[in-house]
Amino acid sequence: MFSVKPTKPTFRSYLPPVQTDVKKTIESPPKKVEPKLLQGEIVVNEVNFVRKCLSADSSQEGLWGKLICTNFKVSFIPTDPPSEQKSHLSHLLLGLHDIPLTCLEQVVTVNDTKGKKKVLGSNQKLKFNPTELILYCKDLRIIRFCFVEAGPESAKKVCLAIAHYSHPADLPLLFGFEYQGRRYHDSKGQRVNDRGGLRTPIFDRPSDWDREIKRTGASEWRVCSINENYAISPSLPEHIVVPVSLADQDLKQNSIYFMNQRIPVWCWNHPNGSALVRMASIADPLQQRRIDQRFIPAITKSHPQRSEVIRSDLDKCLPNIQDLQSAFIKIRHICVIDSFEESEERWLSSIENTRWLEYVRAFLKHSAEMVYLLDGKNTSVILQEEEDRDLNCVVSSLVQLMLDPHYRSLVGFQSLVQKEWVMAGHRFLDRCNHLKKNDKDESPLFMLFLDCVWQVMNQYPAAFEFTETYLTVLSDSMWIPLFSTFLFNSPKQRAQYLMDFAKNKAIPQGEDQLVYFPPVWDWSQQYSTADQTLFNNPMFVGKGAACVQNGEVKTFRRTKKTYSATVRGTHASLRNGQKGGEDSLARRGSLLSELKPDFSLVKDESPSERFFRDWFSRPADQQSLLIPLLIPSHLALWKLYFLRWVPEACIFKGGPITAYHKLSQLVDEIEILQSHLRQYKGTRESGSTQLPGLSGPFSSQRRMYFKASSLQDPPSPPDFLTSSFPFTPSGNLCRRSTYGTPISKFLNGARIWLSTETLDNDPL
Amino acid sequence: MASPVSVYSPTPMADRFSSTSRESLKMELLADVSLLPGEERIIDKDIIYVCPFNRAVKGKVLITNYRLYFKSSEADVVMALDVPLGAICRVEKMGGASSRGENSYGLEITCKDMRNLRFALKQEGHSRRDIFELLFKHAFPLSHGLPLFAYMSQEKYGENGWNIYKPMDEFRRQGLPNSKWRVTFINNNYEVCDTYPTILAVPVKSKDEDLRRVAAFRSRGRIPATGGGYEGDEYQNAELVFLDIQNIHVMRESLKKLKDIVYPNVEESHWLSSLESTHWLEHVKLVLSGAIQVADKVSSGNSVVVHCSDGWDRTAQLTSLAMLMLDSHYRTLRGFQVLIEKEWISFGHKFASRIGHGDKNHADQDRSPIFVQFIDCVWQMTKQFPTAFEFNERLLLTILDHLYSCCFGTFLYNCESARDQHVRSKTVSLWSLVNSRMEIYLNPFYTPESGRVLYPVASMRHLELWVTYYIRWNPRIRQQQQSPVEQRYMELLALRDEYLKKLEELQQSSSSRLANTPNTTSSTPPQPYTELHTPL
Repeated sequence: MFSVKPTKPTFRSYLPPVQTDVKKTIESPPKKVEPKLLQGEIVVNEVNFVRKCLSADSSQEGLWGKLICTNFKVSFIPTDPPSEQKSHLSHLLLGLHDIPLTCLEQVVTVNDTKGKKKVLGSNQKLKFNPTELILYCKDLRIIRFCFVEAGPESAKKVCLAIAHYSHPADLPLLFGFEYQGRRYHDSKGQRVNDRGGLRTPIFDRPSDWDREIKRTGASEWRVCSINENYAISPSLPEHIVVPVSLADQDLKQNSIYFMNQRIPVWCWNHPNGSALVRMASIADPLQQRRIDQRFIPAITKSHPQRSEVIRSDLDKCLPNIQDLQSAFIKIRHICVIDSFEESEERWLSSIENTRWLEYVRAFLKHSAEMVYLLDGKNTSVILQEEEDRDLNCVVSSLVQLMLDPHYRSLVGFQSLVQKEWVMAGHRFLDRCNHLKKNDKDESPLFMLFLDCVWQVMNQYPAAFEFTETYLTVLSDSMWIPLFSTFLFNSPKQRAQYLMDFAKNKAIPQGEDQLVYFPPVWDWSQQYSTADQTLFNNPMFVGKGAACVQNGEVKTFRRTKKTYSATVRGTHASLRNGQKGGEDSLARRGSLLSELKPDFSLVKDESPSERFFRDWFSRPADQQSLLIPLLIPSHLALWKLYFLRWVPEACIFKGGPITAYHKLSQLVDEIEILQSHLRQYKGTRESGSTQLPGLSGPFSSQRRMYFKASSLQDPPSPPDFLTSSFPFTPSGNLCRRSTYGTPISKFLNGARIWLSTETLDNDPL
Repeated sequence: MASPVSVYSPTPMADRFSSTSRESLKMELLADVSLLPGEERIIDKDIIYVCPFNRAVKGKVLITNYRLYFKSSEADVVMALDVPLGAICRVEKMGGASSRGENSYGLEITCKDMRNLRFALKQEGHSRRDIFELLFKHAFPLSHGLPLFAYMSQEKYGENGWNIYKPMDEFRRQGLPNSKWRVTFINNNYEVCDTYPTILAVPVKSKDEDLRRVAAFRSRGRIPATGGGYEGDEYQNAELVFLDIQNIHVMRESLKKLKDIVYPNVEESHWLSSLESTHWLEHVKLVLSGAIQVADKVSSGNSVVVHCSDGWDRTAQLTSLAMLMLDSHYRTLRGFQVLIEKEWISFGHKFASRIGHGDKNHADQDRSPIFVQFIDCVWQMTKQFPTAFEFNERLLLTILDHLYSCCFGTFLYNCESARDQHVRSKTVSLWSLVNSRMEIYLNPFYTPESGRVLYPVASMRHLELWVTYYIRWNPRIRQQQQSPVEQRYMELLALRDEYLKKLEELQQSSSSRLANTPNTTSSTPPQPYTELHTPL
């Protein structure tokens, strides 16, 4: 029989010893059947003799242990834990069987003998003793516990507790508020009172914006602090960037005409001078002209060529938040809830019917159109959305991701999320529905954005410093309520809650929010340094990347100038002189939402299509503009995210990770060589006699997860690699009523008859 | 300036045509076309290519006994088309002398390799008559008493690909004959079965006499012989497994539907359901899951008799895919060639009938893309196991191009007996080409793991449309010779080697320096850099 259940990994360590920056409380001895609790975490209820299902078939194997509900998580502690194998990413704050309460989508209790089933909410009663508990998680896991051997009353209590505690009445009741308060006081003195090693700009102070203005060469734009203390707009950040020609007074006066007082604010500048701007709708349509006359000329003035401004109304051309939510629910259903075999039959059309990929494509397509305007047409673009807090976040960040290689580095990407999502007032609290209060506000916009990023990454695998594992882990972090990033609806809301929080927890005034309630970007909160190396893309061609040219090792170094030259490129529209210069001058100052069709050689082709076709006819430069191919055949389902828990879809010792494994090993070897070479050169120059050995200091900071193999160590992919790596389907997707032997996955569409007729009967 | 329509030439010397310099345009338009040895010009003519992606392009067409070549004569349109005549399925006249509308009079060419071409000519003086007749004649030489180009080609290669597969060597590699299986020569003159090879491995207990009697009962004398050649209990205790794999006609229609949704343009609005309605991936899945069952049975110690009605279509697919899963040797570049020679060419897959080489009867019901489907299955496996195959996607593309091109003798004829010895002596094997430039077909990620059995996941969740084959003519898609991941890995390998070289140089110079200054006692020269390696 071939192995369908995971072949027992023979563990080979590729990791240097784990950094011991982990808190002592987390590392309790393994034998005890006690929960690992974080500071401030308390056990609410628990029940013994529970069986956790490990596969879809409930009659099959399982893990016995204790089920616990705390004020932070649902925890399962196996009585006899199988020797843990390092075949997955290990979270520093959550065990293999833990689920944060915020990650629960639905809590379902079942009584099989009575044939009853109930979805539990907050403060509810349960009239039967559950024989089973099924937890549907926001990260797409489905976890199942059996209570057949457990005390019925305690089982019931735990179920009710889980349901109750996963519906917190108010935001400060989320465990992060308890945890971070304790953590702050406990670790005081050990910490230098600044932003620590956090290299990601947060955009909560003018200097972050200033640096961004300088980096992009946006000399005609300035940081403006009229919204200090959120005096003007409740959802904009305190510091915004506006055209230099607009005075504070002007901005204040006109802000009242915009929804939420969200005036046009600057996002990014193209080296050619075009700017990307975002704004809310104008609340009073009668004021449209007034606004047009104030803001549009100012934005035009901030363009070195005074070129026209084009406004794109996203509400009119993209799906809304409810569309997205319903598409996500459907695609999740097909990927993890429906029976594998049944959904297999009409898989492609089912995926199409969810419309998720269609929406992904629509957002990418619209963003690419904006890229054309900024890059190909040299015009500034205003993204407009009713509230400027949802669709604008997606499009503005995608446009920047395509145009500016800086945002494809890890720190750059995080700063992009910070700038266009967190500080721009995306309602993470409502969209994530952390309080489970208002289902109609829930919408997976950030998830949609991550999927779009993945699509670009899938087409340009060397263009990003980070991996799809990073994107997946980032999406999972939304459901862990310990970081300030995804907990609030706006910077103002965050400021308010954290002020109260600081007061309640006796945190001194003036202490930096980032210190007492850190964002997700400090990844050492969740993963060891060694595990974080899974975020690094070995293929990345970044600034200063070495390459071989004519047998010589060279370094790509990009000065600002060459960067602008490549981004600007030479485009057909400019070359052919087809840009209607006078025309746009004449229309300057008016909002244009329609493009004038250019003359073009190719029939039925819009200027942007022409621009894209031109671009695709040249080899792509990873450190420059990137446009994804948007033909439907070239967009794919993000398998790692959607299928990582599905055991039937797991390829053992296969999948893209096996290529990543080899790349990672090779890059590790290259980095060791580089370090040797550097030390040689250092020796030469200083005249020192210290010569490098193989166990140099670099070994502790190696960037690659898989280390270069030695001769004794065969280079074949380790047995624990699967297409789900670094996640594991085992015990994480136990749908109900899915029966079938493991072989059935291979027999799809085939029937078997055992025949009594053997070839013996043939006249041999 | 319009962007060039990508030139993809499946000819062995593709590189020669890929660049079109402006200078050559000023000179004789077709002067830079270098023909293959043995290739002869038939006709050239001014013509308009009615490009489905673009507008119509004026230019010149050249027809040889091997190819149809078109080149734009418009200064701002750099474009060329290069189509082996063997890839042409059908040539039709389009419009008449009195047809209205621009470019309505000309030729319509349907190709076997997922594209169609339309050419327009001047509507006067029967301008298309000569070109139509000549194209028709040379595109379908067998229907006109002409030889296939494989017999005209004078191309020489360093290696003779006909020697890649030697049946006795291959039996020996598998440890045959042994106590259970013996090698028989009863079919030496194709007298038992004319579609089987001359050397067969059969169970020890079956006497040649018996085999002859069995042959009389089986379709066309095709007795059970070793597929994988794996040991087991002869044919006893066999279990019959029926797989729901559709017949050759269904497969043909399925690929036709697929072509409809990808050429010239990809169906935009309902892509996935359109793709589903072609059933192409579903068929691929059924073939793969059938092969998985075969492989599973064999690896758990059972012998498997694989059969379909005749034993040369689905049987060939299932045995060869199962062997690819079970035996890592077949996943090497040369091993894969042996697999194709053995399970497809030698065991009598009717290439001539299924492909219709040089035959004008485009509606022949015997035609079917069975081999294309097999290569697609192999591609799906390479996608699921990026490090398990020594060869890359480019090899699979080359194989499919020459399945049609008639440039090589490899895929000609229906079986060994029809193939006779002239093919080997008078034509070149495709493997001669492949093995003379192996480096471009190697997968840099390949990690040999002998003995490893590969079980792909035959699920719609993992099966993908092979866009680099089926959608390669679309100019909106950047044509890449290599996957970006592969390309990056190669760059990194080069970088590693460069560093290694530098380090070695430094080590040498510093050790000589140290030798000159014997006073520096505290230092030890670094160990020669040998401890780390990333094998190819």
